[in-house]
Amino acid sequence: MAETLLELSRFKMHFHTDKGVVKAVDGVDITVDEGEIVGLVGESGCGKSVTSLSVMGLVPQPPGKVEGGSIKLSGRDLTRLKRKEWQRVRGNEVAMIFQEPMTSLNPVFTLGNQMVEAIRQHKEINKKEARQLARETLQEVGISRDGILDEYPHQLSGGMRQRVMIAMAMVCRPKLLIADEPTTALDVTIQAQILDLMRRLNRETNTAILMITHDLGVVAEMCDRIIVMYAGQVVEETDARRLFRNPQHPYTIGLLKSIPQLDRRLERLYSIPGNVPNPRQMPSGCRFVPRCEHALDICREKEPPLFSLEDGHTSRCWLNAEEKEEADRDTTGNTAPSS
Amino acid sequence: MTQPETLLQVRNLKKYFPIRGGIFGKKVGDIKAVDNVSFTVNKGETLGIVGESGCGKSTTGRSILRLEEPTAGEVEFEDSLLNELNGEEMRRMRRKLQMVFQDPFASLNPRKTAGAIIEEPLTVHGIGEARERKEKVKELLQVVGLDAYHAERYPHQFSGGQRQRIGIARALAVRPKLVVADEPVSALDVSVQSQVLNLLEDLQEKFGLTYLFIAHDLSVVRHISDRVGVMYLGRMVELAERDTLYDNPLHPYTQALLSAVPVPNPDAERERIILTGDVPSPSDPPAGCAFHTRCPYVMDICREKRPEFQDQGDGHFVACHLMDE
Ligand SMILES: Nc1ncnc2c1ncn2[C@@H]1O[C@H](COP(=O)(O)OP(=O)(O)OP(=O)(O)O)[C@@H](O)[C@H]1O
Ligand SMILES: Nc1ncnc2c1ncn2[C@@H]1O[C@H](COP(=O)(O)OP(=O)(O)OP(=O)(O)O)[C@@H](O)[C@H]1O
Ligand code: SF4
Ligand code: SF4
Ligand SMILES: [Mg+2]
Ligand SMILES: [Mg+2]
Repeated sequence: MAETLLELSRFKMHFHTDKGVVKAVDGVDITVDEGEIVGLVGESGCGKSVTSLSVMGLVPQPPGKVEGGSIKLSGRDLTRLKRKEWQRVRGNEVAMIFQEPMTSLNPVFTLGNQMVEAIRQHKEINKKEARQLARETLQEVGISRDGILDEYPHQLSGGMRQRVMIAMAMVCRPKLLIADEPTTALDVTIQAQILDLMRRLNRETNTAILMITHDLGVVAEMCDRIIVMYAGQVVEETDARRLFRNPQHPYTIGLLKSIPQLDRRLERLYSIPGNVPNPRQMPSGCRFVPRCEHALDICREKEPPLFSLEDGHTSRCWLNAEEKEEADRDTTGNTAPSS
Repeated sequence: MTQPETLLQVRNLKKYFPIRGGIFGKKVGDIKAVDNVSFTVNKGETLGIVGESGCGKSTTGRSILRLEEPTAGEVEFEDSLLNELNGEEMRRMRRKLQMVFQDPFASLNPRKTAGAIIEEPLTVHGIGEARERKEKVKELLQVVGLDAYHAERYPHQFSGGQRQRIGIARALAVRPKLVVADEPVSALDVSVQSQVLNLLEDLQEKFGLTYLFIAHDLSVVRHISDRVGVMYLGRMVELAERDTLYDNPLHPYTQALLSAVPVPNPDAERERIILTGDVPSPSDPPAGCAFHTRCPYVMDICREKRPEFQDQGDGHFVACHLMDE
């Protein structure tokens, strides 16, 4: 079996703002094995980006604060890293690409300049060698036109920019690539190209991918395993097939029923009533309770833990309590902060 | 079956935006945002328009309503040629033609209450006394599933889905016949998106509305539309009855587009056509068929002659030389 590469345990990242505490990530368990593609899905504001930025050590602290739990990459706890140590981890072991590549490229420097710079931060090679490596990496992502290294970011289309970002992320062959909505800003035909590229890199380099998206179609096509987040918590996790065939959590079920289908037309779409809760005033008990059709009394009183079902399938819902034993990875207990 | 009644007819619509260059701002070219597009919309139906970013969907919608002045072509609505109406006539006509926008936040005035926003078109068109208008606003809020007390709130106090409901209530205030909805659910999360789609369907039934529904999400468009048109680089390349278009697309671009959509079903066996390259610039579209630079079936004639948008039978329109074979 593949080794565990990334492991978040009961991880909490809260923001302390003037208007109160935002429990953006509130006791999250995530594992990614070597070479695996894991999808992290959920609606806007559920904490996907904060989770991934935490892994990269990119959450500004303050206002952010780790309130508990750990993030282990190849066994090492990243929440305890010093500033200087981060430099070695980022890029070398884990790299990230974002939704809008323009924000991570500097408009006033050529691509060659930026890539050489980035490469030489991680590798002790001279400029000429770095330039050669940049050219090769760009070829790997399908950009081989002459003079590309002398072009500026604005001269590229959105799809090309995302390819460049992937190339830059892959230069040092990280073990883990975190992709936060990498195709959300792209058209479907360009999205298909980028997804294809990511799948190929995963196969050829065995780089694990944590794919963050709100698009259930994208995770269905890309991922081995899927983690569903709601209001700062993981509510369900299982392999891709099973999630779509046999979802357990009422939120996941509702979400799957509310998407229009491409291959057939449903008479009427299901819709989950109400809205995502305000992160500063989470409902007590289960966070989904104000929108749940199956709510029991206990749901209003006590927060459900993640229950383990068969084959590594987990669901954070009291309805699963009778069926299965409570998971040992119970995240409701207030664990002491790790610092 | 009764013959559908035509509500809107668009003929050879063009909208070019000038590109200016040099120190004197001389016109150096055109962005052909909409380049000779023709179609009809029947009374009571939803015509969906899909296509990738920049293909001219919004400009088509805006040119029909004359929020942009068309460069050429005719738009016939009921018995009037919209492009021939003078300012005052067009202003009165707007009552029948309303628009719902993508970004519910940007399209609502942040300093006005929801009630004032919805009331505005009533005031503009001089409909009702102040008291009647207030009543009407309450009624509209209820129609779109909001409570009367929401009238006193400001846009920032609403969620995205609620703001989109306010935008819809505003568009419906003047009892329009045609609503051009430009990406009305694109900014919304899936769970909220389905609420708004259901609302649009209910309202259509209740008020006999006709929709021109613009979106890039092909699944959403299949759900809501009766007929669907596909645009590429300012041109309409295919238009057909909904199921025909999705189950039996004839244009190579439509085929590629549909095959590229990720579907939420890991068991789906699908053959994917991955197009190479990017969409060319609308300021310098390829000669002949605009899709020829990316088309897997390109022939010599495609590089020279623009294929006509022709009915292949049963109202299935396609612009592709393969149809002549
Ligand atoms: N710097 C910050 N200060 C305060 N709150 C923050 C900060 N960054 C994020 N948040 C809050 O944390 C919560 C989770 O945000 P996050 O960006 O992780 O959501 P997301 O799941 O990535 O959503 P989206 O799909 O919209 O990208 C949100 O309520 C957000 O407003
Ligand atoms: N006011 C304008 N001035 C100049 N060019 C414009 C203007 N409005 C639109 N365009 C250009 O016209 C083309 C069509 O734009 P349009 O907004 O209609 O596309 P769209 O299909 O709605 O795209 P999207 O899906 O991104 O909304 C684009 O190339 C765009 O840059
Ligand atoms: S715990 Fe209760 S409220 Fe929460 S999802 Fe399950 S049934 Fe619904
Ligand atoms: S006209 Fe030619 S290039 Fe255009 S879509 Fe048809 S076959 Fe392809
Ligand atoms: Mg995010
Ligand atoms: Mg648009």
